[in-house]
Amino acid sequence: VSAPSLEVALDALGIPCDVEAHDRLAVVIPRGDVSALADAGPRRQVIRLARDHGFTHIALELVASPRAAEGAAANVAPAAPRATLHRD
Amino acid sequence: MHSQASDRELALVAWLRSRGSALLGFSGGVDSAYLACVAVDALGPDRFLAVIGRSASYPEEQWRHARGVAQRHAIPVVEIDTRELDDPSYAANPSNRCYFCKSELWTRLVPLARERGFASVIDGTNADDRGDHRPGGAAASELGVESPLADVGLTKAEIRALSLRRGLAGWDRPASPCLSSRIPYGTAVTVDRLRRIEAAERAVRSLGVAGDLRVRYHGELARIEISRDELAAWLAPDRRDALDGAVRSAGFARVAIDLAGFRSGSLNVLAGVRPE
Repeated sequence: VSAPSLEVALDALGIPCDVEAHDRLAVVIPRGDVSALADAGPRRQVIRLARDHGFTHIALELVASPRAAEGAAANVAPAAPRATLHRD
Repeated sequence: MHSQASDRELALVAWLRSRGSALLGFSGGVDSAYLACVAVDALGPDRFLAVIGRSASYPEEQWRHARGVAQRHAIPVVEIDTRELDDPSYAANPSNRCYFCKSELWTRLVPLARERGFASVIDGTNADDRGDHRPGGAAASELGVESPLADVGLTKAEIRALSLRRGLAGWDRPASPCLSSRIPYGTAVTVDRLRRIEAAERAVRSLGVAGDLRVRYHGELARIEISRDELAAWLAPDRRDALDGAVRSAGFARVAIDLAGFRSGSLNVLAGVRPE
């Protein structure tokens, strides 16, 4: 996975954000207006970009926390457990 | 109503009568609620018993629903406490975790059925489930638990339609798997984590999220999955704030919403681990 290059790609799409990698989950931390994500079209593009960069999941952090900023600076999760597999 | 579903319901009644009496592992979900209603009609209240296994992994809201269904449809029901969280094999949360949970449940229910004179022990597995990866099914088979819905070929869609025809409350309820399913395999299942997840989902529901919902545990971060139909509305800025506050109130430091929405039944691989 490549969080920095996904970040660049999202920025080019008009989604200003930092990206933090939790294994294959990308957490998008907004740096500006991300209201475009409420529309299905841009959201689909974002999901596709995440997959192109090796992520299986992409989630938008609702309110960026100081911990998120720390992790995003290094593009890695601050202290997340190893995420593996969900079934249900 | 498709005649095939009606035929299968008749086959289900015949299946149940052929056993004479039955004890059902009852969660109150769509499948077991339907099966309980048919069974109590087919066998009568003296030859049928529904048993709820309660633990921290069983959502309280689901328990309330199960009790309500039992009361409304005169289903005889008893409860037992199950202790799967005391089993280190379960708590370690391997990809076959469900096997240990169901082993605990059926190890308790099979002797109970014997003590009370029930000829068979049954579960709510349906025909669609048989194609899925379900380690819990192996535990059921090992202990001789039978699956009449699957045996007569009833699918989930047919069970929902037949439940609606019977006036069964909850015929359209979203699936409600155990709370442990929100914790990634390999991350320990604890009572505290389950309670935080349950509280977070309850808080999100209280905001008006109606369809499928999961709050996934990623340590201090909670990842919300809601149905795709509702996703756009919950991505509006004011609603994002409300969701954030609701989940934080349950003890999570960070909250994110999955941009793909809820993904049902799929193997949502985050690190390439395959189910055993």
